Amino acid sequence: MTENDDLESDGLTPEQSLALIQGETRSMKRLFGVQVPVYYFVWGGAWLVGYLLLWAAWPGSPSPVAVPLAVAAPVFAALILGAAVASAVVGVRSNRGIKGTSDFVGTVYGISWALLGGAVGTIGYALIRAGSSDAAVAIYYTSAYALLVGAMYLAGTMLWRSVDQLVIAIVMIVAAAVTGFFGAPGNMLAMALIAGPALLLGGVIALARLRRM
Amino acid sequence: MDELDPVIHASARLRITAALAALDAGDRISFPRLQGLLAMTAGNLSTHLRKLEDAGYVDVDKTFQGRSPVTYLSLSQAGRRAFEDYTARLRALLGGTP
Repeated sequence: MTENDDLESDGLTPEQSLALIQGETRSMKRLFGVQVPVYYFVWGGAWLVGYLLLWAAWPGSPSPVAVPLAVAAPVFAALILGAAVASAVVGVRSNRGIKGTSDFVGTVYGISWALLGGAVGTIGYALIRAGSSDAAVAIYYTSAYALLVGAMYLAGTMLWRSVDQLVIAIVMIVAAAVTGFFGAPGNMLAMALIAGPALLLGGVIALARLRRM
Repeated sequence: MDELDPVIHASARLRITAALAALDAGDRISFPRLQGLLAMTAGNLSTHLRKLEDAGYVDVDKTFQGRSPVTYLSLSQAGRRAFEDYTARLRALLGGTP
């Protein structure tokens, strides 16, 4: 393509035209989908490592490796915060220069995560203030956040018609519902081993889809 | 080849139209982002966009972000329809069903 490109037809054959259209459509789809595996990997890693650490640090944990809670708790918080910041940055970057319907949808979706995440945290704080036991609070936080993720993935399924997100949503909702029955800290180990690999697998599938485009 | 829309049937304009058609309906893209995606010079992109705009295929929305002017682009309804017709004719020419 040059500055003096002909304004009239430049002798494209129908085959070349179709190939140009397909190539451009593919690269646009790839460009706007490139952030999807990042979300899965970042969150899958954070949930897997974070909950394993919390489980290992819990008093009386059967973990073969002892981790001080003073280390596990801040690392867990940093992993979750890091994943949230990374998701926000990647999301904003991929949507830069786009205005309109998807800009609005993406903004509301992003704010929903923060709003609901804050609400779940606040309710947990209220439970602590009301005298809930550490075990009950651990079950609440672990399951409530998984339920929040499941609900947001359900919203994502509807917004972006993604079957991948539907599968992850169901896994997260089931994990939220059943892990509490393991009691603390078993619920954290169960959550790490269900949610972490599910999200990481989602990332692998999303990456494969992107490469096949 | 006569039956293919001459406004779209040039590689630069075809790439622009295909890229804009890949946006969700109701979305607009800024000039610099589109330029980056297509790896075209600003002058080249402007020239071809003007041709598409003159044909009524592209809606150009000039606005401000703070104090900086920004131009947002999208396919008009006529542009989307013309692109669909163009693609259908291409497929027909290639022996598929339109």
